[in-house]
Amino acid sequence: MRTMTDVDAVVIGAGNAGLTAAATLQRAGLRTLLVERHNVPGGCATSFRRGRYEFEVALHQLSGVGLEGQGFTLRGLFNKLGVSDRIDFVQEEDLYRAVVPGQHDVTLPADWAGAADALEEAFPGNRDRIERFFKLLRNVAFWQIAAMRGLPGDDINPVLFRQGLRPLGDVLDEHFDDPGIKSVLAAYWVYLGQPPSRLAFQDLAVTLFAYLEFKPWHVRGGSQAMSTAILDSFLDAGGEVRFNTAVTGIRTERGRAVGVRLDDGEEVSAREVVSNASLPVTYGMLDASAVPHRIRTDLATRRVGVSGFILHMGLDATPAELGFTTSTTFVNADTDDERTYAAYHTLEPARGICLSSYDVAPIGFAPSGTTHVGLMTLQYSDLWEKLSPAEYAKAKFAYAETLLDRAEAVVPGIRDAIEEVDVATPLTMARYLGHPGGAIYGYDQDRTENWLFRDSLRDPGVPGLHLAGSWAGFGGFQPTLEAGHRVARNLLHAQPA
Amino acid sequence: MKHALAPLFDGHDAVQAEIDRRPADTADHTAATRRILDTYHPARLSLTVTDVVTETPSTATFRLRRPDGTDLPPFLAGQYVTVFADGTSRAYAISSSPARADHWDLTVRRVPGGRISNHLVDTVAPGHTLVTTGPMGTFHHNPLFHGDDVVFLAGGSGVAPAMSMIRDILDHGLDRRFHLLYGSRSADDVLFRDELDALAAKHPNIRVDHVIADPGPQWAGPTGFLTASLIETLAGPLDGRMVYVCGPQALYPYALAQLAELGHPPRRIRFEANGAPADPTAQPHWPADTAPDTEVTVTARGQSFRTRRDRPLLDALEDQGIRPEAACRSGECSLCRVRVVKGTVHAAEEARLRLSDEKFGYTHSCVAYPITDVELDV
Repeated sequence: MRTMTDVDAVVIGAGNAGLTAAATLQRAGLRTLLVERHNVPGGCATSFRRGRYEFEVALHQLSGVGLEGQGFTLRGLFNKLGVSDRIDFVQEEDLYRAVVPGQHDVTLPADWAGAADALEEAFPGNRDRIERFFKLLRNVAFWQIAAMRGLPGDDINPVLFRQGLRPLGDVLDEHFDDPGIKSVLAAYWVYLGQPPSRLAFQDLAVTLFAYLEFKPWHVRGGSQAMSTAILDSFLDAGGEVRFNTAVTGIRTERGRAVGVRLDDGEEVSAREVVSNASLPVTYGMLDASAVPHRIRTDLATRRVGVSGFILHMGLDATPAELGFTTSTTFVNADTDDERTYAAYHTLEPARGICLSSYDVAPIGFAPSGTTHVGLMTLQYSDLWEKLSPAEYAKAKFAYAETLLDRAEAVVPGIRDAIEEVDVATPLTMARYLGHPGGAIYGYDQDRTENWLFRDSLRDPGVPGLHLAGSWAGFGGFQPTLEAGHRVARNLLHAQPA
Repeated sequence: MKHALAPLFDGHDAVQAEIDRRPADTADHTAATRRILDTYHPARLSLTVTDVVTETPSTATFRLRRPDGTDLPPFLAGQYVTVFADGTSRAYAISSSPARADHWDLTVRRVPGGRISNHLVDTVAPGHTLVTTGPMGTFHHNPLFHGDDVVFLAGGSGVAPAMSMIRDILDHGLDRRFHLLYGSRSADDVLFRDELDALAAKHPNIRVDHVIADPGPQWAGPTGFLTASLIETLAGPLDGRMVYVCGPQALYPYALAQLAELGHPPRRIRFEANGAPADPTAQPHWPADTAPDTEVTVTARGQSFRTRRDRPLLDALEDQGIRPEAACRSGECSLCRVRVVKGTVHAAEEARLRLSDEKFGYTHSCVAYPITDVELDV
């Protein structure tokens, strides 16, 4: 027999945005049901054990946390959700070290002046250009954030309109001649998944601003500790969560979302449905007739985004012994970011890698004297999906070797220190996230995916349905944590009194 | 729909034109994702038993195929699948070759008093259906750091994953040396003996040494246990070779001690998970003054029931018809994770808990024991 649960709001998926949405709604007094396929909250924001090590799955550096007293921070959001005292933040000193072997090896400290000094030292004669670039970047980031918060166009500094949507590469070319300094300044493009030719300047500006102004952080106990802390804020406020439960359909009546169906046959009725699932999956759970034509047209012009390929490693040596000087190290074959991006569609040896060492500023996952490292590159899933199952493991390990080869440049002899290593491919991401293409940032965040042209957050097209997560906006931790809260707040404002 | 501010941005029309120019992506992305899951990681499979081979009086190999004969999910030699039966589940290593995708062989030895192993050996016949998970587990050769010269210490039915690893090397023509030191109680207990000996005779990369604990008068080979000196005599200096260990629980601390005596570093040893500890109270961190045979009350999913303190929570829950997802039943895979809402549970050494699990009260129910009355979120 079918049972029926009646709540004010149901949230599909306990990823970052699902968690902050659920906590915000429940704390505002809406009876909220949170439904999650897995047995823990977090989505990407989780961890797992191998041998003596625990491995962080997804969080490289948490942006936007900020220092006590700074405004507009994730810290402020966590305060509002009552989770700040449940999370131990770990601050990192540096943004990153960027290396092209034989060309440059630059470490940018996490402050504007220090970063400018480091760049000038590595690329002498660029001081004025750096100052000008940073000033523009700060301006564009500031006005972009203001614009997204709803400031009217007349009140916005036109610098945003002149510069914001330009390709990052154009803005860099205008400021600098040396390909090395451009490559170092653009290094975070891999956190967004699109190369300088395809990325809007404002997107890198906001990203660099979020790390330089608010510092890079991590969490003791990893992103799972943060996920569970937010879950507890939701539960303490009286929220109900169902783990190990999948939503199989979103129920509609006369074109309005009115609840969900669960995989155990139960039907949930809810005035508001918030989906933290990917957009293809979310709209796929609706009756075809409930999805307006304009939404289908919009979705068809968006491109399933890039996935990742990661070696989760436990190394039997200290970070210092291995040669890690920063938490985050980018190693690239050369400064040709466009070619590196093109290679994400191929299995040619990885051209660009990100090494995250979680024990320079320890998050507690590796035993004393050892180091937990995530060794990553980006990859689209198409080739991986085409492999025959019999070829898969061989291809996976062969490609993993190419990341290790690249890592040798900064960690000579890295293979000799391996105690544990587990490899995740785009198919692994698809398995655990349920995302098409194993996409880790949602749709490709090129300029067409900009908030100016895509409206999923404000207009999901189905009354009663709300979208929160990387597919409906920016990918990454800070953006999705904030998006869930924002979607919930907008929903609350629209509630009948 | 474009944002009202969009027209104010330089270049907005070029971006809009790019959007308008794009061919529609008409792929069924959710179906593609489902196909990946079905191909590689199906949650459940209903498989047909097509053959049952009696290996020894106490051991049988069950050959499983899909009812439609199509390929099974790929696996890495050494991995296991979990079989569901009689309201519970057990993990069994695949003994067949990963090169043969049309079937899996599961080699099952009777555990004295064991509910599922005896059930399988006694009752499962060709034509029967078994429900399993997909292949799982980390006990496999990892080419990134295991090297191409490895040693395997097997005890009893712990030879099953070694059998798969050897078949993998031969079927795929891998350039890997594999030395199996295989301990059995008596010569009659040796599994796959003829096949192992034939393969070793034919392929110089494969070496097999049988070691018999209670040899009969016919036995001329090595006897006793897999001691440090015997390992060294048979395998030579280990020199950092990866050593795999799979067998009865008692083999693990024993093998670890022998390998330590040889100066072999722990990180060059891989132990296959093998169930909850036979006696959790024997582990040094079992709470003092906690009588294992006394009962407490467990509350979960609206039910309350009594259970002994030394019974794993997962087994106790299954007895009540509450079945969390489960696979390795050895503390490792984390699928049976539950949250302790009230009370205290004891986690055996086997529990691979995360930092946040301990902070927020999660435990792996297969190797967790209720010390006080407890309430669980399952």
